[in-house]
Amino acid sequence: MDIAFSPEEQHFRAECRDWLHENVPSEPRPFHAADAIDFDKAWQRRLFDAGWAGINWPREYGGRGLSIVQQVIWLEEYARARAPWIGANFVGINHGGPTLILNGSEAQKALHLPRILSGEAIWCQGFSEPGAGSDLAGIRTRARIEGDELVVNGTKIWTSFAHVADWQELVVRTEEGSHRHAGLSWVICDMHTPGVEVRPIRKMSGQIEFAQVFYDDVRIPLENVVGGLGQGWKVAMSTLSFERGTGFIADQVKQAQELEDLLARARRTGAIKDDRIAGDLAQMRAEVAALRAMTYRNISEVVRTGQPGPEASVIRLFTAELGQRLERMALLLAGEAILDFRYGEDSLVAEYLRGFAATIAGGSSQIQRDIIGERLLGLPKSR
Amino acid sequence: MDLTPSAEQEALITATAVWCADNMPLEQARQRPSALWQELEAMGWTAMTAPDVGLDHATEAAVFAELGRHLAPVGLVSSAVAARWSPHAGKAALALLDGSLEGGKLRVFDPHGAVQALGLAGHLAATTALPRDLDGGPSLDPTAPLARLDPAPRFEAIADPHAALHLQLLAAAFALGCADAARDMAAAYAKVREQFERPIGWFQAIKHICADMAVRCAVARSQLYYAAGALDVGADDAAFHIASAKLLADQAALENGRANIQVHGGIGMTDEAYPHLCLKRAHLLTFIAPARRDILLGDAA
Repeated sequence: MDIAFSPEEQHFRAECRDWLHENVPSEPRPFHAADAIDFDKAWQRRLFDAGWAGINWPREYGGRGLSIVQQVIWLEEYARARAPWIGANFVGINHGGPTLILNGSEAQKALHLPRILSGEAIWCQGFSEPGAGSDLAGIRTRARIEGDELVVNGTKIWTSFAHVADWQELVVRTEEGSHRHAGLSWVICDMHTPGVEVRPIRKMSGQIEFAQVFYDDVRIPLENVVGGLGQGWKVAMSTLSFERGTGFIADQVKQAQELEDLLARARRTGAIKDDRIAGDLAQMRAEVAALRAMTYRNISEVVRTGQPGPEASVIRLFTAELGQRLERMALLLAGEAILDFRYGEDSLVAEYLRGFAATIAGGSSQIQRDIIGERLLGLPKSR
Repeated sequence: MDLTPSAEQEALITATAVWCADNMPLEQARQRPSALWQELEAMGWTAMTAPDVGLDHATEAAVFAELGRHLAPVGLVSSAVAARWSPHAGKAALALLDGSLEGGKLRVFDPHGAVQALGLAGHLAATTALPRDLDGGPSLDPTAPLARLDPAPRFEAIADPHAALHLQLLAAAFALGCADAARDMAAAYAKVREQFERPIGWFQAIKHICADMAVRCAVARSQLYYAAGALDVGADDAAFHIASAKLLADQAALENGRANIQVHGGIGMTDEAYPHLCLKRAHLLTFIAPARRDILLGDAA
């Protein structure tokens, strides 16, 4: 065990820091996804041109081919420099791309990966359905095979960035009459295909960021199936385990900064004299430190064995719940000022309201606890 | 940067766990044989970071978590710190001082055979010679015999603040082990105890209690390893990281101690069953070098 980074890694950190210092945009990212799309694309392009996109992605697809530790260093410095959230590029960079790297054909990788990295192609996710939330295997959107095409009918929901996306990672039932995890396929869907209809949904924060998507005889070439027909569950899980492993580092650094900001505010206003507030802030400082240590442990595990440890679900759960407690503390310290909130405002109230997603999206905290109980502790499966 | 145990550390952790299971099972924590201390000394656990042994704190913390998991005698914590920092040689009982170096009341845990006592006086570790043949009586923690001295003998402070951090780190390691023990006990019981014709661990109400126990352990262990590494490299923020480790390990031990009893139901409330041993040990450890809020908030002098 050793907490020190190597001289080479420290040098890399300085490089990241210098570039970010010079290049982080001074204007804030627009609040609504539709307004933010140009901003997101331009920023991703700038990252790509300077060689900061896909640090640990393979070189042949536009990445840098560096280590996961360097990727972690980049994400830490990225958040420390208060660089903007990657927004609409999130799904491509954190889900679609990594899934293609693991499961895609050469043609799929060559076509999509460089475009994801450069911000040219925006991706969205198509997993959840009105009847398949936590119970993801209950997917009913179906695709019949006609010649060399899939014909898709059904609906997906909670699809972030659907209204601005070019491509979708779509999980559909390709075997008629199949049940649960069997008979699903992971497909690359062109969002501009006839028959795809996107109905945006407003969040309680006032933002329009996700949508319901309807498919009416949508024709997708069979060559867009990733990982083979019927392999959809396996392919989808490879993405989720990535997300639960290392997908939260920037969030964690951001949380650490938010906490220091809250502490400074509590000192300025005198709120720190309240014993409960001081106690909660002290508690969260310890937890932020522990979360970073836990992520480092997980990264060390990836370096050593090639995959995240079983505690990745713990990181996912703990990051989400700590983030919500931070947002609640911010609200408490803000006092009555929160009552002036109006839709369209990018404030801590909006952060608080959209923060409810953290314990729901990508597997609810209850599902995470099931996974921890069953995989870490070996308790009997209840589903 | 690598926060997973090395192959050698892993081997040492496993060897410790195996030895403890064979020679120091948790189930016998209330009646440890009098020869046990000599065996613990022979295994080297009382002096892992002593000048002539020189292992690092990261290794020591990981091993102490295993010892703590079996509710090893609390004198191990004070003795390991004494072996590195005290002017006296020999077993050090774990002292809980009244605050100052002299006078006042003194509680000494695990005093049998101890020649000195070590504890925290203010912000520094401190030691004193103990009268021979001091024996312990009952305490809240049935695995930690307690002697009370009033007035206390005069303590000598150990000037290097590293010694106090060492004590806090090992107390945190013991607390983590205690939390691990409660988690494992609860999970094992939830797999075999049946109600409504199935193991109670099948029900999410019980499963999620157990999951939260695992979360607390994972969080506390990560911070313990990082804190130990910070102390090893003499990092500026080592005191903050060790205080964080102690806070989280204490909470894990206490919360898991309580949850374990709840998962066990009726039998969990009895003297005969083992869950209360973890809870009571957890309460004791919260008093040993507790995390200071000024350090956690980063405004200590």
